[in-house]
Amino acid sequence: MSTGPYGALLDAVRGVRWPAARRVTGATLGAHPSQLRGNSSEFSEFRPYRQGDDPRRVDWRLLARSDRAYVRLTTDRATFRTSMIVDASASMAFPLPSLDKWKLAREAAVGLASVAHAEADPVGLAIAGQGQSVLAPRARRSVLLEMMRALDATTPAGTTALAPFITAARASRLVVITDLLGDFDDMLAAARLRVASRSEVIVVHIVATEELDPPAGAVLAVDPERPTMRRILDGELRAAYRDAFMHWLDDTATTLRAAGVRYVRAMTSELAPHLVRRIAGETARRGA
Amino acid sequence: MTFLAPWAFAMAAFAAAGMVVLHLVARQRPAAYTLPTTRFIPDQRTLVSRAATRPRDLLLLLLRVLLLLSAGAAFARPVLAPSRGALARVILLDRSRAVASAPDVIARARTLVRDGIPSTIIAFDSAVSVIQATALDSLNGSSGSPTIGSISAALIAARRASVVLAERADSVELVLVSPLAASEIDAATPRLRAEWPGAIRVERVALRTESSSTWRLEQALSADDQLGPAVAGDRVDANAKITRLVRHEVTADDSAFARSGATVVRWDSTSTARAAAEGLALGDDVVVAALGRRVVSGTGRAIARWADGSVAASEVSLGSGCVRDVGVAIPAAGDIALHPPFQRIVRGLLAPCNRTVAERAADSASVALITGTTRNAARADVLRGRNDRPSPLSRWLLALAIAFALTEMLVRAKAAPEVA
Repeated sequence: MSTGPYGALLDAVRGVRWPAARRVTGATLGAHPSQLRGNSSEFSEFRPYRQGDDPRRVDWRLLARSDRAYVRLTTDRATFRTSMIVDASASMAFPLPSLDKWKLAREAAVGLASVAHAEADPVGLAIAGQGQSVLAPRARRSVLLEMMRALDATTPAGTTALAPFITAARASRLVVITDLLGDFDDMLAAARLRVASRSEVIVVHIVATEELDPPAGAVLAVDPERPTMRRILDGELRAAYRDAFMHWLDDTATTLRAAGVRYVRAMTSELAPHLVRRIAGETARRGA
Repeated sequence: MTFLAPWAFAMAAFAAAGMVVLHLVARQRPAAYTLPTTRFIPDQRTLVSRAATRPRDLLLLLLRVLLLLSAGAAFARPVLAPSRGALARVILLDRSRAVASAPDVIARARTLVRDGIPSTIIAFDSAVSVIQATALDSLNGSSGSPTIGSISAALIAARRASVVLAERADSVELVLVSPLAASEIDAATPRLRAEWPGAIRVERVALRTESSSTWRLEQALSADDQLGPAVAGDRVDANAKITRLVRHEVTADDSAFARSGATVVRWDSTSTARAAAEGLALGDDVVVAALGRRVVSGTGRAIARWADGSVAASEVSLGSGCVRDVGVAIPAAGDIALHPPFQRIVRGLLAPCNRTVAERAADSASVALITGTTRNAARADVLRGRNDRPSPLSRWLLALAIAFALTEMLVRAKAAPEVA
């Protein structure tokens, strides 16, 4: 399997575990603790027998010792369908010409997908750009390559809403990799619905260092998604811009977290393996 | 090269300097920079001021400065000035009947041109003629004109001639050699004098004061002659010249009489020529009446004309006298002979040859009006300014300015687009 430029990333994230934040509901045998308790060999606890319990699950030895009927409970494990929704709007093509935001978004998507795939989770991809591309979650071996090809073939451009992708994703864990400069309100509403339906929604907020610290001197800033929006940015306005931007970042994080969405801010200066480990590790700690 | 309107070039130079300053300190739109978070920039300004130590867009600046300077130079009306002297002179020589001694006028003119100052000589009576300084000697032999002088006509000619002289000198002096008779000044003279932007130096010569206007007919007219009323009131003295009026062809005796200094007038005033409405002019006198025409001799000098320009009376000098042929027939019926203008024409036709009249000198106010209050010669730039013609250089400079403007537009249009 040729992984191209992602080879180093895949090597770096090998061995990383990305457990689900809560018990999963799937029936397929996987790596994530399931809400179902059945006949697996992983003992969990005893519970007093209640009418209706399967008599075959009664621990007869314990009954013989204590003269009380207990049911032996075990923990089932299931797979966790994971889907990556990558924002490929024009605002992700920044800064020119390195496209650091888009590069980090691609690597984060591939890295997280490989971690999930390593745990036998089906992974899918939806690219929200001008050339929309959707890969349904699959657990087969070639799915990572398909994701890489789709991401490499995409050039961020135009304006595309993320909310429809969040609503339509056939997965229980959604990773939305975006700069949140598009349809934030619609996306938040869709995420709320998914959270209410016990899906895990993770928003990876890509922020370029050049957005926090634009180049010195006077420039005519042009919004790539709204070319008519042109504003002068010079020394006098830089502080006001930075204050407004930081305030917006904080508000956005607060709003998403309040909606039950896991918010992860990722600066373009951060290496992708570190970002993947951070996302997976935080989940592991939360799950623990 | 000089400018007729240097203020226009000064304004253009000032504007060009302002353009350089604008290129140094300009409110400009800086280079575009793609920034996804543009929405967080306060929407306050679209232009920024930037001061620089060296001008930006040097090519555009050069084109704009050249555009302003060439346009300014075009409107400043440049002229390629020839080498100039300090002074030129226009000399007005009075050749009218008011001059007592024509050689005296020539002598004065010769004295004026002797100092080497570029001069234009204008001889005038009722008309003007420009003569060269070297042609003064040709005037020596001729006597003065019998016609009245017109200083107004002379001033007009002087004004025209001064424009040419003004191209070669810084100032132009106007010299009037004239006795300044009252008859030479008319209603237009003060206004024309005011048009001359300097002093007029007057070289006064002697005024003709003697008169030879008294004359008498050799034979008195009959009582019923149509010409009778015209000559009836003339006072005749003992020294009056004699005019012989003949009704027939001139005979040898008449010719001999004319050679002796008398005047012979052949005028068949009772001719049977068919009368029609005609206009007859002699000097300043004009009469329109029912008159008959007769063909006159075409060899002499015309002294009276019909309204269509044909000769009504001619004069041929003969010895010290002359013979006149008058082709005006007067109807037997009518009162034309009683009209004063017609009577003056009749007296003029019967008057002796080479008749002279006494002139009256102009009053001191008129003389002061002509000399003027200033003592300076007219400035050449003032003389040129009133008669300047557009220099061809202006058109070329204007075309150059348009070319610079078009080039500037092209360069601006082809300027590199804003890039992030």
